[in-house]
Amino acid sequence: MGFWNSLREDLTLTDRVMLLCAVTLSVWGVFCIYSAAAGGAGKGFDYAFRQAVWLLVSIIVMITIMRIGHNALLEGAYPLYGLMLLFLALTLLTPKVKGAQSWFGVGGFRFQPSEFAKISIILMMSKFMSRYPPLDLKTFMMCLGVILLPVVLVLIQPDAGSALVYLVISFGMLIAAGTPLKYLAGLVGLGVGAVPLMFFFFLKDYQKNRILVFIDPMRDPLGAGYNVIQSRIAVGSGGWTGKGFMMGTQSKLKFLPEPHTDFIFSVFSEEFGFIGNIILLVLFTLLIVRVILSGIRSKDRRSKILSAGVASWLWFQMFESVGMSIGITPVTGLPLPFLSYGGSSLLATFIALGLVASICIEGANSRHDF
Amino acid sequence: MEILDSRLKLFLWLTGLSSLILVTGLCFCQILQGDKYVSLAHSNRLRMIRFPAPRGEIFDRNGVPLAVNDNTFSIMGYPLDLNTPEKLEHLSKILMRHGIPFTSSDIARTVKQQRLAPYRVMRIVPNLTMTQMAELVADYDFPRELFPLSVWRRTYPAGPTAANIIGYVGEISETELKARSDEGYTGGDLIGKSGIERSYEAVLRGSPGQEALEVDARGRKVRTLDANQAVKGEDLHLTLDMGAQKLAVELLKNWKGALLAMDVHTGAVLALASSPVYDNNPLAWGVSGREWNSIMNDPDRPMLDRAIAGVYPPASTFKAFMSIASLEENTINQNTIFSCRGGLRFGSHLFKCWRHSGHGALNVIGGLQHSCDVFFYQAGLKTGIEKLIKWGRKFHLGEPTGIDLPGESGGNIAGPEWKMRRFNSVWAGGDTVNYSIGQGYMLMTPIQIARVYAAIANGGKMVTPHLCVKGYRTPENIGLNPAKLEIVRRGLEAVVTRGTGARAGRFGVQVAGKTGTAQNSHGDDHALFAGYAPADNPRYVAVAVIEGGKHGSSVAGPLVGQLLAHLLSH
Repeated sequence: MGFWNSLREDLTLTDRVMLLCAVTLSVWGVFCIYSAAAGGAGKGFDYAFRQAVWLLVSIIVMITIMRIGHNALLEGAYPLYGLMLLFLALTLLTPKVKGAQSWFGVGGFRFQPSEFAKISIILMMSKFMSRYPPLDLKTFMMCLGVILLPVVLVLIQPDAGSALVYLVISFGMLIAAGTPLKYLAGLVGLGVGAVPLMFFFFLKDYQKNRILVFIDPMRDPLGAGYNVIQSRIAVGSGGWTGKGFMMGTQSKLKFLPEPHTDFIFSVFSEEFGFIGNIILLVLFTLLIVRVILSGIRSKDRRSKILSAGVASWLWFQMFESVGMSIGITPVTGLPLPFLSYGGSSLLATFIALGLVASICIEGANSRHDF
Repeated sequence: MEILDSRLKLFLWLTGLSSLILVTGLCFCQILQGDKYVSLAHSNRLRMIRFPAPRGEIFDRNGVPLAVNDNTFSIMGYPLDLNTPEKLEHLSKILMRHGIPFTSSDIARTVKQQRLAPYRVMRIVPNLTMTQMAELVADYDFPRELFPLSVWRRTYPAGPTAANIIGYVGEISETELKARSDEGYTGGDLIGKSGIERSYEAVLRGSPGQEALEVDARGRKVRTLDANQAVKGEDLHLTLDMGAQKLAVELLKNWKGALLAMDVHTGAVLALASSPVYDNNPLAWGVSGREWNSIMNDPDRPMLDRAIAGVYPPASTFKAFMSIASLEENTINQNTIFSCRGGLRFGSHLFKCWRHSGHGALNVIGGLQHSCDVFFYQAGLKTGIEKLIKWGRKFHLGEPTGIDLPGESGGNIAGPEWKMRRFNSVWAGGDTVNYSIGQGYMLMTPIQIARVYAAIANGGKMVTPHLCVKGYRTPENIGLNPAKLEIVRRGLEAVVTRGTGARAGRFGVQVAGKTGTAQNSHGDDHALFAGYAPADNPRYVAVAVIEGGKHGSSVAGPLVGQLLAHLLSH
């Protein structure tokens, strides 16, 4: 009985709005996956069922993390960071899936270490930057070192999408940690300077194409521009109210590539329309705002930086995924949090929310103490 | 702490702002331009059609066509339009009505094989003539979603005469498609499967054209959104001389074996015949499984290009190499005399000379002229296997020559290390004795033999045999002593003027060369002849290997003589 009572108490203390947003989005996601995958070889139910099971597991894990507490996990941040680097390195030894080595298999169970690495990076940087605030050049450089190790490892895989997410998360945390503006400006300058360099030397042809097509999709309507055009048609034809659940023609007729993963938002928009999109964006915005508020309300430096990391993560993948399907950001193949099919991504997101939920509980407790 | 909170508050504003941006974007896309996209989606059949490029044509050195393109038609369509048994049945009925035997299960199989994506067009019925296609399109019941596409069919005017060289094209297989996934091939594309068609695939294939069509709900073209033209592949002009090639094939007609001729200075191949022959035309048009099996299971193996992939003991043709190695190592010189009494006792075994009564006392020129085994047994034993292998490596024995054809064999240089690895036993002195007359473990392809003789003829340069100028490589000078090489060349001239190879010299040109008779444990001995002409200023080298031809002197020699005479007189 003690367990259920304390669980109930935790759930009263934590941010229920935030958790409700996350669960609503995820359940909606399961339905979208059912619809998106139905156009294929009738695999809709399979995918949706698997995603539902993952969701259940994710919620249980989230509650567990919430009860263990973010403090306990921050204690173990350094060894976890080491373990994460080891896994990322081991991944390089595994066979390639779709041209990249981003999967790690244990028995029949496969997962993407690059998703869980996001949590480890957030924990590590929260702890590190609280201990050594990046206020002078030396500590700032040390922080950069902590960031670059995992970034380089996923770039070798090659998984440019994950590397980009790591960089955005880290940048958000650097901002939140109070890094002087001149350093941040320097970093932005460096990033802008590196773009042409990356473009000509590091990006593979298909990645260059994605960027060129972003600028003008009609330059290659047969190849890389195809996804962008078809996705825009899917979103645009949704209109005010959408075509209705399971009624999207773009995804059913397989005009959309990867409808249940990368382009899940296009499927969603086509079927639920502008009104559905507004509801979706409100849920996402509310969720992210609540994550940031948990940081503001906390009295602990580490928690503030941590919440900034989680917020940057969710924000970036949401903005990129939605932006991509209407053609205002380039195609990167990043999943839309909560909605895209994929167990690793869902679980990692919910673990992060578990940490934030724990911060909320601590914040509420400290207010009671006054 | 204040700075942290102020930064986090900034985050709140940024989150709100970015959501507004997305709402604006969605509003623009779904509300303002919604109608446009609704109609696009409604009639959305953005379709892609691929026009295969005509392949580059292949000609011999005089412009005789060896591979050309004929225009035929295919019926094309989309997987989406053939997804029910009724549609398949309907199509099959129309095809049958016009005498094209395609059952609905045939069509279903084709669809399944090529299905990559629903918006990728695929070939449903190939190889129709202009008349057939015109009748079909005129048929009122012919599904409008399907459409004709003109395709190029490959034909080989020379057929069997040059099939081993030209090879053939075929539809790309699934494994090839996977292996070449980044080279822009799609299912149904033609790809070179063997010969020049395969080795110069990248040059010959050209780049396919594509057209992006917007079509209505019934599949009719509304407008072209984007198109790029197919670009024909590059034509190839081979070094092959069809006159010489025809002669070579004709000369080999009643035999199994190979006959080839090559320019001694450049390595340009003028004739490369392998017998028996096969016709590459039906292979390019798509043969039935039974025909294919009958070619593949033919015990005479017509698909084996014996000139580059047949491996034989070089037999006595190897004695020219033996002479060079021994002279260069100074284990013999021009005045070294060995005496032949019909055999050499080594250990407990008597190694016989082919002439059981013996040749008497001979120097190296006499040894070559009479092809005396005993002379070379002794030269080989004196030089030793290590040095022979060292010289073998200089002549690139045991390695492919690098000719621009796929499937070349490298032969076998053998030697003590190889024998230990292969049989786990020690190289014995008797092995060296056998090695010295080109018997035993040593194996060479006819093109390898030709390359060694070209080096003898051109003063010690290893050429790279090639059929297309693109395959030319600068010859590699292996540094032979000119005086010593001259001795060997005098020996080879003596073979034809007064020795075992006299029959090669009866066609009006001055040939120098060497006969060979390779022991064959499976039947009659193989006959070999390798030679070049004119003897004093060599231009061409030719090699004949006749399986079961018994004697190099009587069978192979005249073939080489005639081929060289033809080349020098034209």
